[in-house]
Amino acid sequence: MKKLPIFIAVLFVAAVLAFSSFFVVDERQKALVLQFGQIKAVKEEPGLSFKIPFIQDVVYYDDRILSLETPEIEVTPSDDRRLLVDSFARYRIADVVKFRQAVSTGGIRLAEDRLKGILNAQLREVLGADTITSNTIISAERASLALRIRDKSRIEAASLGIDIMDVRLKQTFLPEQNLEATFARMRAEREREAADERARGAEAAQRVRAQADRTVVELKSDASRQAEITRGEADAEKNRIYADAYGADPDFFEFYRSLDAYRKGLNGENTTMVISPDSEFFDYLKSNSGR
Amino acid sequence: MASNNGGPWGTGGGGNRPTGPGGDNRGGDNRNGGRRPGDQPQIPEIEDMLNKGNEYLKVLMGGKGGGGGRSGGSDGDGPGMSKGVIALVVLGAVGLWAFSSFYTVKPEEQSVELFLGKFSKIGNPGLNFAPWPVVSYEKVVVTGERTETVGLAGSGGSGMMLTTDANIVDIDFQVVWNINDPAKFLFNLSDPVQTVQAVSEASMREIIAASTLAPILNRDRGVIADRAFELIQSTLDSYDSGITVIRVNLDKADPPTDVINAFRDVQAAEQERDRLQRQADAYANTALAGARGSAAQILEEAEGYRAQVVNAAKGEASRFSAVLTEYQNAPEVTRKRLYLEAMEEVYGGLDKIILDDNAASGQGVVPYLPLNELRKSTTTGGSN
Repeated sequence: MKKLPIFIAVLFVAAVLAFSSFFVVDERQKALVLQFGQIKAVKEEPGLSFKIPFIQDVVYYDDRILSLETPEIEVTPSDDRRLLVDSFARYRIADVVKFRQAVSTGGIRLAEDRLKGILNAQLREVLGADTITSNTIISAERASLALRIRDKSRIEAASLGIDIMDVRLKQTFLPEQNLEATFARMRAEREREAADERARGAEAAQRVRAQADRTVVELKSDASRQAEITRGEADAEKNRIYADAYGADPDFFEFYRSLDAYRKGLNGENTTMVISPDSEFFDYLKSNSGR
Repeated sequence: MASNNGGPWGTGGGGNRPTGPGGDNRGGDNRNGGRRPGDQPQIPEIEDMLNKGNEYLKVLMGGKGGGGGRSGGSDGDGPGMSKGVIALVVLGAVGLWAFSSFYTVKPEEQSVELFLGKFSKIGNPGLNFAPWPVVSYEKVVVTGERTETVGLAGSGGSGMMLTTDANIVDIDFQVVWNINDPAKFLFNLSDPVQTVQAVSEASMREIIAASTLAPILNRDRGVIADRAFELIQSTLDSYDSGITVIRVNLDKADPPTDVINAFRDVQAAEQERDRLQRQADAYANTALAGARGSAAQILEEAEGYRAQVVNAAKGEASRFSAVLTEYQNAPEVTRKRLYLEAMEEVYGGLDKIILDDNAASGQGVVPYLPLNELRKSTTTGGSN
């Protein structure tokens, strides 16, 4: 009955061998099989693989899309207006062999440093090109500039075994020192607009008032004109009526109208009359036979 | 697990009794129990350990419905007990294996199973089986909405963006997303949350950079959210990310705080303009109404004058005509009568002094008439 320890020892050795000779490459990974630092096999597909235990090592690399954000840099486009730019890149380790050769044991960290260098250089080159002004960067052409940066960076990054899938400009903003000037300009523009609004308001108001005043004068004078016409017509009518009536006997009119005038013209309030008894009125004052 | 379990089981069973590993575990234990005591002393440290927990284990074995015979064997001697212990270990291992192989997926989740690292299937809500260690799984919350905020203080990225007319606008927005394909989500992006965040910010900045300030602040808000939505989705699709953008909420699109007062002043000025115009309109309305009233009054007065004058003339004329007719019937008498009536009236109301010319001149003196005194006497009530 000495089988059990042997069995356990065998089992242990078998387990160790199994663990060190089989390895699983995950869907998210790629792997390199290294033998004393030398690349022996590339495992790009997920699944179970075999290696020689103890002699060979496996190095795993991420097969997913990796992200990289570049730190803010200041670029000077051809119109000398400085801009703060940062970007992000999405990349993939396309060729693990090249990647391993390029970064050795530095791994993803070293690769990121190299990529940042490449991206920053390309950012400066593309955005600082002669034909590019800050207006180009801040326009619909931004996307195509990002594409250009991607295409150029991609060529360089290929030597790292990295495929840059996408580069986007994130921030394209003004440096702190230029910010206040921009704010001041924006304020000035708004102030101009506000002043314009107020002036236009005053203008419109004045116009409306002036028109109203003019209309008032027009209305009143027109009414006066019509009124004078009416009065004139009335006077004419009056004269015609009088002429018609009085014309029938001018002599009697003179007499009759004079009597009326005496009645109105001479009244007790303010008139004292010194009369001679010779007047016709007194014909019978002295004798019943008259004069 | 199958290989791990099978190793000790197979050798143990294979040497003495070729029972299939999938067979009745307890039966196997009991039968082996009789033949194994010889092996036991050779692993004393384990034996000691097991003996110490003997009582405890017995209870456990009994609890699991172990046969009385086995219990008796265990009580009887150490080796018999150790068989039960091995069974227990195996049982525990199987339990552990089952525990790590079965898993539940909650209603809001899906799981992704990998067979030896290779994507095999998507697990739906419920109980799922992923035999350890060849199949591994990961659970992903798929229906839950996740939100990335850009622009707010504390969130990723600044909300200050430059427009194409070199103005600055402060934008806050949220991107709400969920996962449409958990496998793509897990396998294609190393940092999906950060990717959504960065893509959202870059997309929004790209859109803002292509637009002028004025429309962003008001009428194009909806358009901008829609365009951001499309751009973010298409970018994420280009990464094959398995992410669906549900919506983009544009919370804020305002001028920066440094200049917002100037923008407000423009609004105030717009209202002031409106106010001035309305005031002028009010003035015009008042003035015009007043003028129309005055004009009407002038016209009516003129008409009144016409009526008055004409009527007066007509009245006077007809009176005259009436008198004239009468006069013509008897001219002399009427004339005399009219004269006398008039004189009667005139003299009746007058202060009068009748002075005989002949008498005065006969005396050769100019008569003195104290007119003022005479007038006074009339006003004090004296009658002449």
